[in-house]
Amino acid sequence: MSLRSLLKKEFHWSKHNALALGFVLLLLPAFFASTSVVFGTVVPRDAPVAVTPESEDVTDQELSIITGAFEPFSAPKRVDSPAEAEQMLRRESVYAIVQVPPDITNASNDNATFVLTVDGSIAPFERPSQAIRVIMARALDDAPFLEADISVRREVVGTENSLSEYLVPSFLMAVMILFAFTYVPYNLAKERDVLDRIRTESSLETLILSKLIYFSVLMLVPVVVFQGAAAYLGYATTALSVGTVLTLLLTFFYLAAISTTIMVLLRFGTLGRFVNVVVLLGITAFSGLAFPVGYLSPVRKAIIRADPVHYSTIMTRSFMLKDADLSLFADWLLALSGFALLTLACVKLSAVYYRRTT
Amino acid sequence: MIELDGVRKEYGDVVAVQDLTLSVGGGQFHCLIGPNGSGKTTVFRLLLGLARPTAGTLSVEGGTVGCGFQRPNFYPDLTVRENLQVFAGLVGSPSREWRETVVDELRLRRAMDRPAHDLSGGFARKLDLALGLLKRPDYLLLDEPLAALDDVSKERLLDFLSSYADDATVLVSTHHVGDFEPHTDRLTVMHEGTVVLDARPEHIDLDGHASLQAYYVALVRQQEQAASDRDDDARQPGRRPGAGGE
Repeated sequence: MSLRSLLKKEFHWSKHNALALGFVLLLLPAFFASTSVVFGTVVPRDAPVAVTPESEDVTDQELSIITGAFEPFSAPKRVDSPAEAEQMLRRESVYAIVQVPPDITNASNDNATFVLTVDGSIAPFERPSQAIRVIMARALDDAPFLEADISVRREVVGTENSLSEYLVPSFLMAVMILFAFTYVPYNLAKERDVLDRIRTESSLETLILSKLIYFSVLMLVPVVVFQGAAAYLGYATTALSVGTVLTLLLTFFYLAAISTTIMVLLRFGTLGRFVNVVVLLGITAFSGLAFPVGYLSPVRKAIIRADPVHYSTIMTRSFMLKDADLSLFADWLLALSGFALLTLACVKLSAVYYRRTT
Repeated sequence: MIELDGVRKEYGDVVAVQDLTLSVGGGQFHCLIGPNGSGKTTVFRLLLGLARPTAGTLSVEGGTVGCGFQRPNFYPDLTVRENLQVFAGLVGSPSREWRETVVDELRLRRAMDRPAHDLSGGFARKLDLALGLLKRPDYLLLDEPLAALDDVSKERLLDFLSSYADDATVLVSTHHVGDFEPHTDRLTVMHEGTVVLDARPEHIDLDGHASLQAYYVALVRQQEQAASDRDDDARQPGRRPGAGGE
């Protein structure tokens, strides 16, 4: 009989926690099931490639022919100058640059050499870029109007990193995301015991701000750990640089502000922690942490490109693997700072909402 | 003074406090008494700024407000000492001496290095009171401060609060007026969100009742009967007032 009573108790508990259970039993399984579909589309056939003229002698028509020839196996983008294309390569807006030599439609031109430039730090693109070189040579040979004898040379710029090195910034970013959406909500939930006193003696906003600052500074610890581990393993990565630290702390700050907003809106309860886990899974799936975004389907690519974490990841990778200059990402850093301020405003509004509904 | 003028507080469809006009202050030991659900805790939350009035105005002038909560509010993972340090810093505790006085008066010294989550109910109550006293508030609001305290601790705390009320205002919310009777300068009785009595104890005619507690219980019953009669009248619209019975 006691078992029956206790089962009845569990049923009552479930009724009172229907929303939390709904997340665990319905939404999470649905999420996992749907993410399996995502992996089916991971084919590098939409890799963005910059098509740029080698010199001013290259005509618009020649660029159009080459762009068209690339469309079956990549996502070519016409770029006006090699310098601009290089910047796009460094910012992972494209994964390769194709420099189009002049006079390719000229029958008197015996030999035209295309240069396919790739970034050595994007380890997952190393093999695909070799395949692209072969496909490209064949496609250009078959292309109409190209009279010259075509050859393609593949060039690698920057340090060539191993796949392990390539993944180090991704893992570090994953730690930031994980901490922001699991530990921060857990810690905030514990504030429930003392929230009335804190609100009486200080304010909700001050409490939250202190946590955001404290945990952001605390994030230096995993950065140092990663630096130590990378040094021990002999990786060519730099975690302790101004760019890396600035990007990671800024990223953690806005992610923690998002998770905090959720917690405050859901009154520091269990539901808030579940929602944060769901957001964590969503951000992980849609930030291009492991795969370069250019590999993914157009829909997923579009979603990822609207996600600030995607830009944080690219910056972290560039600072850690390529020692990129801060000025290269000045506009992105400014935009992310603006986004961080926006999330801070959301925290403030959630605190106002909390007070008004108390 | 803390002034509440025509204050009403609703939680959804429930009216917790209605048309409440009350002044608190003037350096006295003030008891706010009422049965469960009478609106005492809501009044405290309004006074502490933890809830906003649905209607009416509330103002706190000329002083600081400290509080002890019905459910002790502190960091359970910190020790007693750490809790005191954190909140002393937060409220700008006037002096280290005052902090030591509070610790001694509440007999907290031997629990200073214990994690707060390990404290017994009585010690948890004392720590919560200590945190409320840290800034030496001009208005000390205490919600059921004697709950979970043993008799000796109760007497000691009442003596301390009584002397504290010489220089400040102590507002205590309770449903056991008996413990506070010898110390109380003013008594406010609440029932169903309204004040039904507000007077100094010596001005209250006990009407044959043996104690203030007995008088209070009779008063609440009378209010409940009146409310019940009003409900009956509301259910029978055709019935004339006073036309019931035989």
